[in-house]
Amino acid sequence: MTAGLEAALSVVLLAFVLAVAAFTAVVRDVLTAVVVFAAYSLGLAMVWVLYRAPDVGLTEAAVGAGVTTALFLLAISQTVRPASERVLVDRRSVRPRSVLVAGAATGGLLLTVPALPPVGASETPAFGSVAAFYLTDAAARGVDNAVTAVLVVYRGFDTFGEVAVVFAAAVAVLAVLGREVVA
Amino acid sequence: MTRAPFTDSPVVTTTVRLLAPFVLTYGLFTLFHGTTSVGGGFQGGVVAAATVITVAFALGIRQTAEWLDGRALAALVVAGPLVFGAVALAGVALGGAFLQLDVLPVPKATVYATEAVEVGIGATVAAVVVVLFVRIADGYAEPVADPSADADGAVRPVRPAEVGSDD
Repeated sequence: MTAGLEAALSVVLLAFVLAVAAFTAVVRDVLTAVVVFAAYSLGLAMVWVLYRAPDVGLTEAAVGAGVTTALFLLAISQTVRPASERVLVDRRSVRPRSVLVAGAATGGLLLTVPALPPVGASETPAFGSVAAFYLTDAAARGVDNAVTAVLVVYRGFDTFGEVAVVFAAAVAVLAVLGREVVA
Repeated sequence: MTRAPFTDSPVVTTTVRLLAPFVLTYGLFTLFHGTTSVGGGFQGGVVAAATVITVAFALGIRQTAEWLDGRALAALVVAGPLVFGAVALAGVALGGAFLQLDVLPVPKATVYATEAVEVGIGATVAAVVVVLFVRIADGYAEPVADPSADADGAVRPVRPAEVGSDD
């Protein structure tokens, strides 16, 4: 893929993600918001793939767009929503103060962007000696996917903790619901 | 009452029946090939669990939940921490450090230890997602095709716990 095409694609995708994120915030109907939020996750997953992070993109698509949407849909299926209102965006429900706060926070974050190194700059810590060691050592051990190698071989403690968190999530949900049977 | 269940659409059920095996295969591929290609335990487990969720949405959440084996699910939930802990302690038992994978007495020890850990992670993640889904669906009443029923809000979700049919 040429650099020009890549830049154009990233502009389109980022614009889509921004628009969908804003729409998620202002849309009136909760069901619409959930569906639009899934589209936001899918757009973000494509952004990750474009930035050469397919592992993150796969997670974003499966968890963000897939499972989270299913759980949200289940949750709101137990709520009551007004059937008469058919407006997509109700101007009265968008408070100017909230828009102001959100805009100020976004602006403040955008002010820090010039301090970041350019994408792919060779002097960033990501390209330091540790990364070079990981890449050569993981290949020498036979683990070709450097992401998996970092997760399990070099950062095993973190991943062990993550599995414990996932396990604890199931235990906590069952405890809160007072159910001892999983299915 | 002759209301047809909302889930009876042949397009949805046929599509899910056709796609589910391929999605599950992709999930398992992602799970088992985490060391050589994109993905790993977390991603593969979520994709595998998404198969169950898709089937449940298409063919009925209640029926799918009843089809699931609670003991097998519980075993899968604890598989990840157990396998990870066993692999980590095996390194200590063989004279290495906690979580040191290359001291295990198998060829390409790091690769196979990583694979074992990934499979354990995948089992736990998939089972936990399914458990969360099934438990959140507890208070879920299957929607009905009759549009006049929910326009006036007459349809109340029936909680299976109140019905008292399961466990």
